[in-house]
Amino acid sequence: MTHGHLWDRLAEAKTRLKPVQSKYRVLFEDPATPDEPAKVLVPDPNWMACALEGGILPPIETYQRDRDVPDGEPKEHPYAEPIGAMTEEEAIEYLVQKDIDPSVWRDYKGNRTIMKIVPVELIPSDRSFRNAWRIMQ
Amino acid sequence: MSTLEVSNLNDGTTTVATTYITNGSAKAWVNFNGTGTVAIRESHNTSSITDDGAGVYSPVFASNLANADYAISGTAMFSTSVNAHFVSHGNNSGAGGTLPTSSGFKIRTLYVTTSANAQDCTIVGLSINGDLA
Repeated sequence: MTHGHLWDRLAEAKTRLKPVQSKYRVLFEDPATPDEPAKVLVPDPNWMACALEGGILPPIETYQRDRDVPDGEPKEHPYAEPIGAMTEEEAIEYLVQKDIDPSVWRDYKGNRTIMKIVPVELIPSDRSFRNAWRIMQ
Repeated sequence: MSTLEVSNLNDGTTTVATTYITNGSAKAWVNFNGTGTVAIRESHNTSSITDDGAGVYSPVFASNLANADYAISGTAMFSTSVNAHFVSHGNNSGAGGTLPTSSGFKIRTLYVTTSANAQDCTIVGLSINGDLA
């Protein structure tokens, strides 16, 4: 049985899976733009439901290989064999590798802590000074 | 999952090619709260958004598009008493836009005053039309 295109699997999953609001956020700073405020990655609830369900998302390595494929050329991740269910913590690690530039989570060799996975309640809801947010060292 | 293979759809009077549906449907969309604790309300084909700073957000696709030549349409609402906000390509500096990629893009929600300043909005809706990878 074919597993079809990832977009179709996401659409089918949306009809039967309840969205899952993650209890985590990923706080990070981009070493290429040190003057910019800390960024906060917010996982998508439908995507998280797919990650926890299994059988929908492709292996993370397919996205990483597709980064080197020029636009317009066939990509691997939409048709790759889906992987099994992840825990929420594994899903966040997957998302870090997929949606955050490797210069943050893999290549940075400096002394500052530039990425933290934190419970959502530790992210301030008062955004009055949003553009001054930094990761506490 | 079963597959129905048809080239055309007919409602009794009008016939259209199925490509009208596949080409014309949004390939990704997202509605999120861009203020307070930023959170996605509803979506399709989005894996995350990154809150980059005040009024600056970066959605990422779960299933990438074929290239960066897709069309983004969007709306932003600050509150029920203010209706002067719009969505633009953007970045934190405000000095210009950030080019979209096949995996995502960056937008600013701007308040139209004498100068357009980035501002967090309570309802941000984005829809993407283009070709899937």
